[in-house]
Amino acid sequence: MEQKKISEKAVWAVGKVFLVFFVIFSVSPIIWTVIISFKGDNEIFNTFLRFTPTLENYTAVLTTGNYVKAFMDNLIICIGAVAVSVLVGVPAAYALARYQFRKKEDVAFTILSFKFAPEILVVIPLYKIFMSLHLYDTYFGMIWIYQFIGMPLLIWIVRSYFEDIPVEMEKAAELDGYSWFEIFFKMLLPLVRPGLVASALLAFIYCWNSFTFGLMLCSFNVQPITVAALTYIGSDTFHYGQIAVAAIIAIVPEIILCLCIQKHLVRGLSFGAVKG
Amino acid sequence: MAKITLEHITKTFGKKTALKDVSLCVEDGEFLVLFGPAGAGKTTLLNMIAGIDDPDSGNIWFDDTPMNFVEPSNRDVAMVFENYALYPQMPVYDNIASPLRSRKHRTDEAGIRKEVERVAAITGMSEYLERRPSQLSNGQRQRVALCRALVRNPNVFLLDEPIAHLDAKLRNAMRKELKLMQKNLDCTSIYVTHDFTEAMSLGDRIAVIRDGEILQVGTNEEVYYRPAWEFVARLFGECEINMIPARIEKRNGRLWAVTRWEGVEFPVPVDVERSLGDVAEVDLGCRTPALAFSREPAAGYVRGSVYSVEPLGNKTELIVDVQGDLIRFIIPVDTKFGIDETVYIGLNPEHIIFFDQKTEAFLACHGEETGTEV
Amino acid sequence: MIKADTNTVLPNIPLRKKPWRLRIRPYLILLPSMAVLLGILYPFITAIYYSFTDISFRSTTYKFIGLGNWLGMFTSADFWHAILVTLEYSLSVIVLEMVIGMILALLLNNDKWYSKVLNVVLIFPLMVAPVIGCLIWSLMTNNTFGLMEKFLNIFGVYGFPWGASSQTALLYVIMIDVWINTPFVLLLLRAGLQGLPKSPFEAAKIDGGSAWFNFRRLTLPLLKPVIMIALIFRSVAALQEFAIIYSTTKGGPGNTLTNLSLLAYQTAFPYSNLSKGIPMIMVLWIIINFASKRMVGVYNQTRQS
Repeated sequence: MEQKKISEKAVWAVGKVFLVFFVIFSVSPIIWTVIISFKGDNEIFNTFLRFTPTLENYTAVLTTGNYVKAFMDNLIICIGAVAVSVLVGVPAAYALARYQFRKKEDVAFTILSFKFAPEILVVIPLYKIFMSLHLYDTYFGMIWIYQFIGMPLLIWIVRSYFEDIPVEMEKAAELDGYSWFEIFFKMLLPLVRPGLVASALLAFIYCWNSFTFGLMLCSFNVQPITVAALTYIGSDTFHYGQIAVAAIIAIVPEIILCLCIQKHLVRGLSFGAVKG
Repeated sequence: MAKITLEHITKTFGKKTALKDVSLCVEDGEFLVLFGPAGAGKTTLLNMIAGIDDPDSGNIWFDDTPMNFVEPSNRDVAMVFENYALYPQMPVYDNIASPLRSRKHRTDEAGIRKEVERVAAITGMSEYLERRPSQLSNGQRQRVALCRALVRNPNVFLLDEPIAHLDAKLRNAMRKELKLMQKNLDCTSIYVTHDFTEAMSLGDRIAVIRDGEILQVGTNEEVYYRPAWEFVARLFGECEINMIPARIEKRNGRLWAVTRWEGVEFPVPVDVERSLGDVAEVDLGCRTPALAFSREPAAGYVRGSVYSVEPLGNKTELIVDVQGDLIRFIIPVDTKFGIDETVYIGLNPEHIIFFDQKTEAFLACHGEETGTEV
Repeated sequence: MIKADTNTVLPNIPLRKKPWRLRIRPYLILLPSMAVLLGILYPFITAIYYSFTDISFRSTTYKFIGLGNWLGMFTSADFWHAILVTLEYSLSVIVLEMVIGMILALLLNNDKWYSKVLNVVLIFPLMVAPVIGCLIWSLMTNNTFGLMEKFLNIFGVYGFPWGASSQTALLYVIMIDVWINTPFVLLLLRAGLQGLPKSPFEAAKIDGGSAWFNFRRLTLPLLKPVIMIALIFRSVAALQEFAIIYSTTKGGPGNTLTNLSLLAYQTAFPYSNLSKGIPMIMVLWIIINFASKRMVGVYNQTRQS
């Protein structure tokens, strides 16, 4: 009995050490990047933690080059894609949650399988189609393809929130004399709003992080931030501080959004399957 | 106000049949209780009438108007849902006012306030109007749901276990209130319950339902004293009816009922004899009046021992073990028995309800032709 | 037996069928989303057709060539190498992430202050785009000023090659994947642990089984649905990982890290053989579909029982 206690305590102690290591592993890259972003070009090489902070990297990235343009492009594409996802996805989520009709589960699973399909499989023929429809390198084309990322996610999550509302509540409202539209907008939408906001923001994050589509379906006119950032990796620059700034600019919106939807994150990430 | 007619309603959910060829007629202004065990299809039947769900086949009529596939909002039906179905985002006041704010039943705000306060007073919810449903107990939520249905004057009033979650005292009070209200409202009501006292005290008539089939529709006297099936007989009564198997034998031109207990046999009452036909195996449905007990041995009595004694306030339920059969009946509270005490049980044939053992259907009971109570 | 009375005379109106308007309503509501998704489904189907043609970026015309692309693929050594890389990569990251995620979830399965803080802080890498994550790690592993370099210097290791050597490239990308995606597993499993019923554990406490016994006999079986979900999502993503490998080494050095996604991309884009790239990605798609179907099956099973 005593021995067991001691060995279990030892395991816990090892676990705590492991936890500390992982936290350092997980957090230090981001902190390191923030530190570097304030270092001048010279100080990066010959200082570690003690240095004179400078904003020259920030001014360099924000005033020159096309990184700001990529940031704005990304914003336009993602907001557009999320807006369309919400407009057509919410009614679909409702239909999948409430109505019994033939092939319902098949339809739902097909929507989900879009999330599972390799992006490149779609990109290759899309490249041809975009070329012939002159959608290559346009906002419209990018918004269209970014649906692929946002819609399945949104439909599945919002569906699970609709399913949480008892059908009887909706029926009670019908018996009270309300029309379907009144019920949908006045009763149901307010109730699924937390889930809707969370999934929309999560869809936004996924769109924001998308890389494959941007890499292959656009070039100079429209450029997602991930593709723009890639040019920093390849280039033989010595302005490492600017690379750090580029990374931070790309991360900041996501960290903010992530903190906003923290409570609904688990449910969102698992497409509504795990209720956090 | 409307008369509700259901014709051959059938409904299946996947492989499960929820309603099997149900036909039912509820008269204008009648208060019908739909009574049956859990999962019998009571709620499904209400949903059909409200239009929440549509039957696979069969017709629904309100008076002379066919109601199949008419949307719930066009049926002018008020319903109290078993799980309350309140609007969680609104305070109690708005929940109750909701029907009066819809386009169908639009009332001015002053009128709404008057009505809401009226029904809230009836149900004792006046102090809770500002709360949200999440801040209420189940009993209070149930009362809000009741208020929401009461606030307007519907054609048809559907109540799905509307007072099941209230505590006993409040339930008694609400039962009286509902009865009074129903008389005043004079609207057709269907009331679902699984509580037999509620069924007996409230309904003009009771419809007993099991496994999606209506077994019997009748006044409370009818379902109690002349149950159409053994199943119905078992549902009613504060202590469950005893079913004692017996053989019917012909002796000297009379029919005798012979139980498997030695010495317990009796000639079947003459008026029952005619209805028995040639059924050989019967179940004798015995409620308390059909049973006699004695502390001393007597002719026609069988020896048993007390299995349990359960006080029910002003009376006592006695369970006696007679050769392995457990017989339960009510005795006066001042008659004391100890566990394992010997007691002798006899039968009063005039009060026995005869069932066909094979089909479990009602056969006969004494006095039914003359119409006197059993 | 007493029958319900229906012998009242009713007007003879034929039985009403469910109105058309009500029957098509669900489909009508689904229509817009279906239309948008069809915009994706169409290229999907086109892709299958393309795989039987000799379509490329070099000419505008193409013709049907039957199974040529498929047969060519199955006889190419690059393809089999890519399959190997795909499996090697995904197996490593899935095992590592599931195990580490589980350990962390167990360690953080309490309401102490550090658990609450870490539950938020540890999510950050997950929100970072894989490409940006690689950008950050390129700074971390820089051989002159990188933090990892300074860390390894403590152990006397200088100029660790990371992505530049075929010996360490796989290790490097796996490390980045673990950095990004372990929080996903952690988040799901921690939520799963917190949602477990309390009573079996209280009973086990009275029985006095060892912690390891309780974990195997209670926690794991109860947590299985959530574990399956995490596994499905991680497998699907790991099998088709593109962004991390592309932005660190572009599949190199040589073809060390060229998995199916990268091979298909390289075949279809820089080398312009659109039609030859598609079969490869379809093989990947079949693998993913097979794996996810199996796991969804297990998931449904555990949820029902």
